[in-house]
Amino acid sequence: MTILTTTGLTMQFGSQRALDTVSIEVPNGVTGLVGANGAGKTTLMSVALGLRAPTTGTVTVLGLDPGRDARELRARVGYGPERNVLPEDMPAFDFVKHLAEVRGMPRAEARGRASDVLWLVGLGEERFRPIGTMSTGQRQRVKLAQAIAADPSLVLLDEPTDGLDPVQRDEMLALIKQISRDYQIDVLLSSHLLEEVERVCDSIVALDAGRLVVQGPLETLVGDTQTVVVELVEIDDRPGSVDAVEARLSAAGLNVRRELSQLRVTGDDRRTTLDTIRDAVAAERARLRRIEVGRRSLEDLFIEVPA
Amino acid sequence: MTAAEIFDQGYRRFDGERAGIVSSVRSVVWYTTKSMLGIGRKGRHKVFPVIIAMIAFLPTVIIFGIVALFGDVSNGIRPDYYEFLGPSESFGFLIFAHFLYAVAVAPEAIVRDRRDGMVALYMSTPLTRWTYLIAKTVAVAGTMAIVVLGPALLLLLGYTIQGQGPDGFGDWFLVFAKLLLGGLIIVITYCGVSLGISSLTDRRAFASVAVLLVLLGGSIVAGTLVEELEMSSKYLVFDPLGSPFESAIRLFGDTSNGPAGAVSDLSVTVGVIGWILAGFGVLVGRYRKLSVI
Repeated sequence: MTILTTTGLTMQFGSQRALDTVSIEVPNGVTGLVGANGAGKTTLMSVALGLRAPTTGTVTVLGLDPGRDARELRARVGYGPERNVLPEDMPAFDFVKHLAEVRGMPRAEARGRASDVLWLVGLGEERFRPIGTMSTGQRQRVKLAQAIAADPSLVLLDEPTDGLDPVQRDEMLALIKQISRDYQIDVLLSSHLLEEVERVCDSIVALDAGRLVVQGPLETLVGDTQTVVVELVEIDDRPGSVDAVEARLSAAGLNVRRELSQLRVTGDDRRTTLDTIRDAVAAERARLRRIEVGRRSLEDLFIEVPA
Repeated sequence: MTAAEIFDQGYRRFDGERAGIVSSVRSVVWYTTKSMLGIGRKGRHKVFPVIIAMIAFLPTVIIFGIVALFGDVSNGIRPDYYEFLGPSESFGFLIFAHFLYAVAVAPEAIVRDRRDGMVALYMSTPLTRWTYLIAKTVAVAGTMAIVVLGPALLLLLGYTIQGQGPDGFGDWFLVFAKLLLGGLIIVITYCGVSLGISSLTDRRAFASVAVLLVLLGGSIVAGTLVEELEMSSKYLVFDPLGSPFESAIRLFGDTSNGPAGAVSDLSVTVGVIGWILAGFGVLVGRYRKLSVI
């Protein structure tokens, strides 16, 4: 099922075009909204929340029109902003409870859920501490807690790992994955860190300067390729062995691209390619340093697609 | 005997009925009220609310006590009841409490949200800009009404107990209603001016200074035009500090003794409505254009 759809979405601020005829379909699960700063990620989120009316184009979120059904929609959507938006002298529990109430939870339910959600994000023991005394990692968890406290169907998280160290980032990503997997809450995760999106997301929407770069399930966009990377070592008693292996592979009908002592070998069938490489290396008694299946990362995708 | 079991459901999906927008607004009103009054916050946030409460209620309670103990304190002359709202020599301290509230406490209601970025979070909820502003206005006006109407009603009660109140239930109720209406005029005017000016900055100190300059400065300029430059007394409608009090006095069919007494009822009414519209107009205009995310 599609949770967010845009058709020809354009957002113009004066002479600046923040979104340029963007047409996307965001499916269930965790979707990464990736792009450099200024790519239009936050603008897309504000349009999805009904806080900005698009210049042209249409948007549908959870089957609702954000402009017309803003109140109904926002009761079902949680939002974790990028900015540090936490009142310093307020205990985390009060903050989460208050926002759960504002998002439509009955008072008694909001109290219980605030406690439960703070335990879920690992702040159970800290829940009565003023937010101003918390670390950056804890504050990001509080932001996540308030976003999911009112049991949303969809959560929009804007750079939720901003300012976190690697360990805290791993924990935050695991939490995001958990809320999607265990509670079936769909997540639209905005980030400019491609590596973290690749780790946690099921699909991606990539924007660049307001334009759609690519979208789709992550497994079809990144992952193993038909290319095998072979790195050989040229040794004194076998001079020219790299040239010889390259020649054998080419003769076998494989596409070989050489970079010094590294060969990037591409064939129709990966298993056959690996067998051919093994035979060629053995026949030339070449010394093998490394052999691995080539992998296309999100970063590669970003480099390839605009080109 | 049945075995006891600890049953912790933890975080779970919610399948009950969600509360409506009124509940959202109520939550913001309560959160804002607590924030303004410094409830659950550090001691420094409680300083102005405590000072204002002392200015407004301590003398009032003392006067109430004197009236209750000694009975007739004014040789049988009944007070002008509008004086309970502040415009008099005896109860002038009340005006200072109202003024201090508008300058030092009310701006906190909206400035803090913009400074902390809470506006962005509120706007991602079922609240709209307008329901958000309604919640903020209710919070500010509600707490200010305690400062304005609390002492007035306490004094009316004290004088009534000692037989110096209005004669009969009908008159008493009429005075009560006029005090209520007069108090609300003062509350809404100060609330509008304070919120309107506060909406222009993210710094509470700047907001407080700006509100002070407009209220006090406007009053001084209007007074100077009329009293020093001998211009028409109609210019006193530009006095944001005095106009709502003059309006409250007119509700009781009286006028103040100074030059403001020469201004027509219509001009006073237009002046007060003008200040209210100007204040809330700035507030609404500012939030209409405010970029929240």
